[in-house]
Amino acid sequence: MFRFVKIIVKSFALVALLAGTSFAFTEGTDYVKLAKPIPNAQGTLIKVFSYDCPFCYKYDKKITPNLVPKLPGDLKFRPFHLKTKGKYGVQGSELFAVLLLKDQKAGLSDRDLYTEKSLLKKAKMAYYTAYHDKKERWDAGPDAYLKTGLDAVGMTKAEFDKAKNDPQVKALLKEWDASYDVAKVQGVPGFVVNGKYLIMTKSITSIDGMVKLINELKTK
Amino acid sequence: MIGNLRSDPVRTISQWQDKRFLWVFMAVLSLFMVILAHSVFQIWLYMRPCEQCVYIRLAFFAMAFGGIVAAINPSNPGLKIVGYLCAIWGSFKGVLYSIKLNKIHHAAHSDDLFGVQGCSPEPTFPFHLPLDKWSPEWFKPTGDCGYDNPIIPDGVQLSSMQKAITDFYADGWYLWPPAHFGNMAQCTVITFGVILLFLVVAAACWVVTLVCKRQAATQDASSTCPGRLA
Repeated sequence: MFRFVKIIVKSFALVALLAGTSFAFTEGTDYVKLAKPIPNAQGTLIKVFSYDCPFCYKYDKKITPNLVPKLPGDLKFRPFHLKTKGKYGVQGSELFAVLLLKDQKAGLSDRDLYTEKSLLKKAKMAYYTAYHDKKERWDAGPDAYLKTGLDAVGMTKAEFDKAKNDPQVKALLKEWDASYDVAKVQGVPGFVVNGKYLIMTKSITSIDGMVKLINELKTK
Repeated sequence: MIGNLRSDPVRTISQWQDKRFLWVFMAVLSLFMVILAHSVFQIWLYMRPCEQCVYIRLAFFAMAFGGIVAAINPSNPGLKIVGYLCAIWGSFKGVLYSIKLNKIHHAAHSDDLFGVQGCSPEPTFPFHLPLDKWSPEWFKPTGDCGYDNPIIPDGVQLSSMQKAITDFYADGWYLWPPAHFGNMAQCTVITFGVILLFLVVAAACWVVTLVCKRQAATQDASSTCPGRLA
């Protein structure tokens, strides 16, 4: 009888130990494996976002700027804009792609994308505040939409029209097309590690917990 | 009627659900909620539905459908079972959708972002029904999760009445907007919850009475049905 109790206690202790270590995160609740992985994304944390999404705005204000500096050194942060959401998703993607490449050419690293130097951040924030705070919907058309972002970074429409035909911009936009399959799973924002593992935002309880999960998924 | 309810609750409730009135009432109430949301708030006041909101509409439609089917002939067990299944399914899903929307609403209006998921750009309806393709005006989400403020398109001339009401709801839909009291999700969760409770109680009373009748038929007067003990 006594031995029986001992065995039970031991097995419980073992389960608790395992639960505390290797089963810290579970597939299906903390993250899901993408059915269609994003190509060439080893060593990256991809964030899929849309200007037309209140949670993206909230994440960009409160969470991502605090998360990016805490990411492991060998993980590159890459923003992907989703072109299928919002009336001007396509125009938004084009402008963000142009600005991201401009940021990179100016020497900004992936960790600098949330600093004041980043043109991408300036335009993004201009859209967020216009759309979510001021309820601007740009009913006048795509040019009105573009003006908001262009004004925020001080770029002319002619400059933008020229820049968006750059093959590098086109290549980046093509990569961003993978966003759709990510967004379909649980909406945006969506964080993907190594192009394979999508974090379930519902299970995130803190930034540190998110960093821990990213670290675990990175080595998978 | 109330006296009957007190002395023989199970059989009285069972008799109620054999009548048409409550089924029609539930169907009318459900349709009223959906039409109010679509024609008044969405079309007239420019308050756009979010992903959860269109699911909530489906839930109300399921209840309306169940109510109509049962009301065709409430004493027909087949029709009534279909009615109960649709209505209970609708109200149960409605409670879940509303709770989720309320969580999203809370996150969207605070800095407490953890524990909720953003909205999907494409709704996935139960049974993979492509409702948003069949009827985009009713089922395509055009609003943002957790936000239901009126968004007035450029160039639209509001009547003085529209202006007054859209101003009243400027911060979103609340039962009492000036105090931000009772958001849409909280109000629908109560509506669905009360109807679900009624449905479950009525269905249970119906089943108990049916079983009793059957027992009474075989064992004659010695049955132990509730309400007959006295």
